[in-house]
Amino acid sequence: MTLAPEVTDVQAIVEQVWSSFLGEEEPLLPRLAEPGQFAADEAWSAAVSISGGWDATVTVELSAPVALSLTRTMLGLDDIDDAEDGDVADAVGELVNMVGGNVKSLMPGPSVLSLPAVAAGRAAHPSGAAEIARFDGIWAGEPVRVAVHAIPQP
Amino acid sequence: MIIDDSRAMRSILRRIVAGLHFETLEAGNGQEALDLFEAGEVPDLCLVDWNMPVMDGYTFITQVRANRDWRCVIKMTATTESEQGQIVKALAAGAHEYVIKPFTPDAIVEKLELLGLVPQEDVA
Repeated sequence: MTLAPEVTDVQAIVEQVWSSFLGEEEPLLPRLAEPGQFAADEAWSAAVSISGGWDATVTVELSAPVALSLTRTMLGLDDIDDAEDGDVADAVGELVNMVGGNVKSLMPGPSVLSLPAVAAGRAAHPSGAAEIARFDGIWAGEPVRVAVHAIPQP
Repeated sequence: MIIDDSRAMRSILRRIVAGLHFETLEAGNGQEALDLFEAGEVPDLCLVDWNMPVMDGYTFITQVRANRDWRCVIKMTATTESEQGQIVKALAAGAHEYVIKPFTPDAIVEKLELLGLVPQEDVA
């Protein structure tokens, strides 16, 4: 049996990160309806891997408007148009770093957290990786997805 | 000195401590921070990320502690590493305090108060 974090734990982590850095004025809500697909050319994604006592990847996928809002808030930019791709990559990378680090703390260790990898587009997963937990949320009408994938052992 | 590979996180921390009238320097990893130390920019306080490229927070803290001239520098880790073992490792290496990401501005201020770094006029 694959050891997996509870979806409610993943949701709690994401909500805590969200409220800490984006405030509570516009809360991140669970997306109750079946989520649609992200448009690949209008999404940002980031991943960290956890290896050691437990092996998995944690990915975050955001629509471009969410990624831009996140960047503006985290970097304290006055205008969303001031955000460059490098800024968005930095903010989205820090987001997955925080979520991944807290997911790691829930699972058996000791484990090591990788540095984040960020992409403009959908998240990529290692071949054979199986999704073991996922939180779909909606923020300001835009989709947010956090997923945990177990990494197959050789 | 704020030491974090994320500009977003440095920006967040900078805004929090600026509210306490701290002057800040920034470094993107432990090595950049050590370079600033070597150049004479030795701060009163370092807010140190744990997981960074080039030189991580653990190595940085260990190296600062190893230099007698820098032992007075207060080091606080701001990290996602909430495993008990990692916290113990950070404190054993020479960190004076730690805060787990995500954090609120109040959490940072509270830790700095504990370290006696917040001027009385800024204490609520």
